[in-house]
Amino acid sequence: MTMRMMGMALGNNVALIVVAGCSSVIQGMGPKNSYGYPALNIAFAAGSAAASGMWRAFKQRNKDVTVVVWAGDGGTADIGFASLSGAAERNENFIYVCVDNEAYMNSGGQRSGSTPHGAVTPTTPEGKKENKKELLFLMLDHHVPYAATASVGYPHDLMDKLRRAKTIEGFRYLQVLTPDPYGWLFDPSRTAEVGKLAVQTCYWPLLEVVNGRVQVSNESLHCLRKETRRPLRDFLSVQGRYKRLNDQDYKELESYVDYTWDRILKLMRT
Amino acid sequence: MKVMSGNEAVALAVKLARVGVVGIYPITPQTTIIEELAEMRARGELSADIVRVESEHSAMAVTLGAAVSGVRSFTATSSQGLLYMHEMVWWTSGSRAPLVMVVATRAVGAPWNIWNENTDFMSERDSGWIMAFASTPQEALDLTLQAFRISEDPRVFLPVMVGMDGFILSHTKTNVFIPSQEDVDNFIPPRRQPYVIDPETKESMGNIFPPIYYMKFRQSIHEAITNSEEVIKEVGREYNKISPLGDYGTLNVSYKLDDADYAVVTMGAWSLDAMEAVDKLRENGLNVGLYRVRYIRPWSEKEIRENLGDKRAILVVDRATSLGRGGPLYLELKSTLNIPIKGVVTGLGGVSVGKRDFYSLISRFVEEARYSEVGGVEWYYPGEVKEVELGTPRTAH
Repeated sequence: MTMRMMGMALGNNVALIVVAGCSSVIQGMGPKNSYGYPALNIAFAAGSAAASGMWRAFKQRNKDVTVVVWAGDGGTADIGFASLSGAAERNENFIYVCVDNEAYMNSGGQRSGSTPHGAVTPTTPEGKKENKKELLFLMLDHHVPYAATASVGYPHDLMDKLRRAKTIEGFRYLQVLTPDPYGWLFDPSRTAEVGKLAVQTCYWPLLEVVNGRVQVSNESLHCLRKETRRPLRDFLSVQGRYKRLNDQDYKELESYVDYTWDRILKLMRT
Repeated sequence: MKVMSGNEAVALAVKLARVGVVGIYPITPQTTIIEELAEMRARGELSADIVRVESEHSAMAVTLGAAVSGVRSFTATSSQGLLYMHEMVWWTSGSRAPLVMVVATRAVGAPWNIWNENTDFMSERDSGWIMAFASTPQEALDLTLQAFRISEDPRVFLPVMVGMDGFILSHTKTNVFIPSQEDVDNFIPPRRQPYVIDPETKESMGNIFPPIYYMKFRQSIHEAITNSEEVIKEVGREYNKISPLGDYGTLNVSYKLDDADYAVVTMGAWSLDAMEAVDKLRENGLNVGLYRVRYIRPWSEKEIRENLGDKRAILVVDRATSLGRGGPLYLELKSTLNIPIKGVVTGLGGVSVGKRDFYSLISRFVEEARYSEVGGVEWYYPGEVKEVELGTPRTAH
């Protein structure tokens, strides 16, 4: 869904770098390729580094091409984190899109750093103990010119963010929550709905940070005050991966949401 | 002519070749290559974009990213860096991306050791890269320049790795002839590559290939390596025209080998020490010659059989090892020739081996070969070390 929206937002002049993940397979069998964009497929940890070389090559050839790294949460939070951090620190000129379905879905859904607390996965059959790695804040600590979050439940918001990112020079980060029916265990027809619930229950904040200035997106404004947040249960109960959730786990997740919004509020004040 | 180290020579080659993007990460003893490049750039002498990445894995990735997007690219590393880069080394040759890397060789940990050993370089010989090894700073310059042209030749379209002995070549300064920028511009044609990742061409690379297609693709790399032998000789002959010291018409180099009964095979800087030993041995009536391997890949069975096929016995001295088996040059030769071959592994971890050691090794070998069929692998320690005791590790209680 995100790939399609990205195509609509960014237009034709794009070169993709696709790291190991579902999207490596969705392209179809070589030597043919089903993507409308030229794509360099690359090893798991190497996306951001390859992009650092690619955009410079286009610059030297005087070509105006938007370079986009397309990576999952495993490739972003874990194995690709060093190269992501390096590229952000150097303010490399490309857009990094993390499609976050909160696990290593291509290999069967094993936990990643981006898997939330309490979620059942094949490698955390009793539910993950740790909280979801806070990638957005980590990116903000690199002082990147643009960082944002989006959800497949709100396509127009997603496309607006990509269009804005395209106009900015330097390192741009977009993390899109992409609910996975097979990993999160819900009916595929509800994907967009689950993407909406994540935002409405304030689990997944929609934000845009341009040069350090935080702008909470419209769909998340109600989250700024605890009283107006939709109950987290509405989001969790739809997903089979939270079947084992006990009261303690639920409280842990609620305080994670509280903590996240406290951080956002703090950022808005500075 | 100018006095310079192997590292400085390589940096100069990168500038002369008009490289566009360089990925860099520090590791001893390659670091002065990247420092020299950064200084050249700061002085305005080098137009290449230098990317100071956060790891060697990323150094190869950034170089690959630029290469597939249409720009001549370069990186350098050693030892741990090369090993860390290993996945990307394979990804690059698998992607058929023309680019050049220099490896200043160094022993591999654990345990830590920063001194010269060729095992790091040799361990990449399965990967699908063209691989050349220098014996002087002059050769480091020359082979690096030729590497750009070889890699971008449509009959090859593969990355090329140029190795040189860490510290011994990387840091030691000798006289180097520098071809003019004009000569190099004529020598290296404008960049060609098999595909470009570009919205205009819409080509893609690297997605899943079903089994038969994958195998055919890998075979194409294999064929490109074997076919590259002709290209390398062609490029070498062209290079000879712009360099007065050029002897690049063959992949490997023979020294006093024609009439020799016995041969010593070496690679890299100590070949020159071995050559001095050969001279002395000949003075003393021993009929030996030296064969210096310059290209590991392609491995020229043709040249090797032509030059070594008629020898009575061969001594191979490796500054590298495939643990449990023997030196790589020894193993490769054994699979090429049907002659008694003895392998010596020495110089690991920077153990200093000089012409006196070569003299003693070769004369002992010839004695042995006269009366028995030589073979097997010997680990040689120079100087006072007579015996090495390998104790059993203590067990914890």
